Amino acid sequence: MRLLRDIAYVRSGDKGDTVTIGVIARTPGDYQSIVESIDEQAVRDLFGDWVKGRVDIYRMDNIDAVVVVLNQGLGGGATRTLRLDQTGKSLGNAILRLPVRIAV
Amino acid sequence: MGMPRVLQESQMKSVVRLGSGSGFWGDALDPAEELLREGNLDYLCMDYLAELTMALLQRQRLKTPDEGYVPDLVPQMTALLPLARSHGTRLICNGGGANPRAGAARIRDLARELGLGGTRVALIEGDDVLDRLDRFVADGVPLVNLETGDRDFAAIRKRVVAANVYTDSTGIIEALRRDAHVVIAGRVSDNALYVGPVMHEFGWTHDRTDPDSIAAAITVGHIVECAAACTGGMSSRFAEMPHMGRVGFPIVEFERDATAIITKLRGTGGRVDPFTVKEHLVYEIHDPANYLMPDGVADFTRLRLEEVGPDRVRVNRMGGRRRPETLKLVIGYQDGWIGEGLLFFPWPDALARARKAKETLGERFQRMGLRADAIQFDFLGVNMLHGPAAPEYVGEPNEVGLRVAVHTASREEADKVRRACSHLWIMGPGGTSFGTPMKPRPVVAVWPTLVPRELISQNVEILEV
Repeated sequence: MRLLRDIAYVRSGDKGDTVTIGVIARTPGDYQSIVESIDEQAVRDLFGDWVKGRVDIYRMDNIDAVVVVLNQGLGGGATRTLRLDQTGKSLGNAILRLPVRIAV
Repeated sequence: MGMPRVLQESQMKSVVRLGSGSGFWGDALDPAEELLREGNLDYLCMDYLAELTMALLQRQRLKTPDEGYVPDLVPQMTALLPLARSHGTRLICNGGGANPRAGAARIRDLARELGLGGTRVALIEGDDVLDRLDRFVADGVPLVNLETGDRDFAAIRKRVVAANVYTDSTGIIEALRRDAHVVIAGRVSDNALYVGPVMHEFGWTHDRTDPDSIAAAITVGHIVECAAACTGGMSSRFAEMPHMGRVGFPIVEFERDATAIITKLRGTGGRVDPFTVKEHLVYEIHDPANYLMPDGVADFTRLRLEEVGPDRVRVNRMGGRRRPETLKLVIGYQDGWIGEGLLFFPWPDALARARKAKETLGERFQRMGLRADAIQFDFLGVNMLHGPAAPEYVGEPNEVGLRVAVHTASREEADKVRRACSHLWIMGPGGTSFGTPMKPRPVVAVWPTLVPRELISQNVEILEV
């Protein structure tokens, strides 16, 4: 089974109590698989109770990337969270654990 | 009637060269010095502020009225100002923090000490609305929390320590029009540090210029504002990035037709290619079709990236819409304390030792009567960074850490965590080891909200050496 780690680059960060994760296809041919592999349920199942609010997913067809937004996902924001990773820098890597669904 | 305007425009630059000199308070100075020496820049733009920073600086200002600007501004400007003046590059920064007036006065004195006569230092005020909050509420501005929807601003009013509006490039444009060599702003948006000089050079205005052009400046500002983050820093392809310890900060060649080249100095470390640019395009944004900035709304979903040479990426087809009618206001308020502790455990059975220590800490907290509204335990090397997203650990680790963090109402309660952790020196499992005990830290939480644009105006003053 392939994982997103095999086909994607990521970068994540924070805005207030929100974690944002950019997922970029390594090759244009991988983009559709990334789109198929990331949906709200998969993201919720992955992060569990670390995400209290909405999960928003946006496509960027022009650069073969998907933006995932975890609202109320940082434990209260960078200054308030009890996590060591106060700005969510490491959470992009977590999404690389999602299995690749085959694009149809 | 067309002739004079054509003549006038032909005297203007067709390309503006901007460098990014700082991505955050604490960033490296040497890449900025290199840019000034070799970059042939019109402008070097520097961001120093984050959400937390304004509250820290506001606290300094309350203690000492002539402080509250970014302290690093002085050593940074000591190195950069002589270079900037001799190369004809203008410096634009938000290092004024909570006290742009004091920061600008300090930089004017510094310029004098450095023998840089004739230096014009601009200060920009107007973002600090700490003294106006009650007036806003009385005038019917609801100050609803944008993230939680909470409307009860009154509940935190007494604990507010900072309130700053993310302002647009209006003040920067005026400062440049008045021939400032250095611009010291407060909480102007990071993005406006780049939009301002572009609009100034091309004579653009928010009302009359095509919104796509201003959105292009916003887009490019977003790409470069975190400095090395678009030249190989923070990269997923970290292993491929050469000599990151001497990375080159980005250069923008922004053209009048609202296209731009992102590049860096030859011979510096790092890389500029479509992926390093993409990595930062997706960074810390919500809807990429609606990137809301005080100068306009950029749409990142139409642009095209093209590799046009080594470490050269062209960005074209950028666009967007006119600026929003509201501005973002970030209010910082005191919100209790965090107590934190770290303990480490060796092989064999490191994870079992850490789990036993967690249980023991829990018992200590009970005995000591810890009153906390949240307690978090993490196992370093197992699940500290990814939490619920980390799978069950398989195998035998060489070592494991236990981290505990609690949120409390008072410093005294938070300090119980430090004491409980030190009790484990002897109550803990064999092999328990520590770093330095951690002191409790105060929490300044953030209440993001909106204010009508017409309530906010900027004030520009020039201090001359």
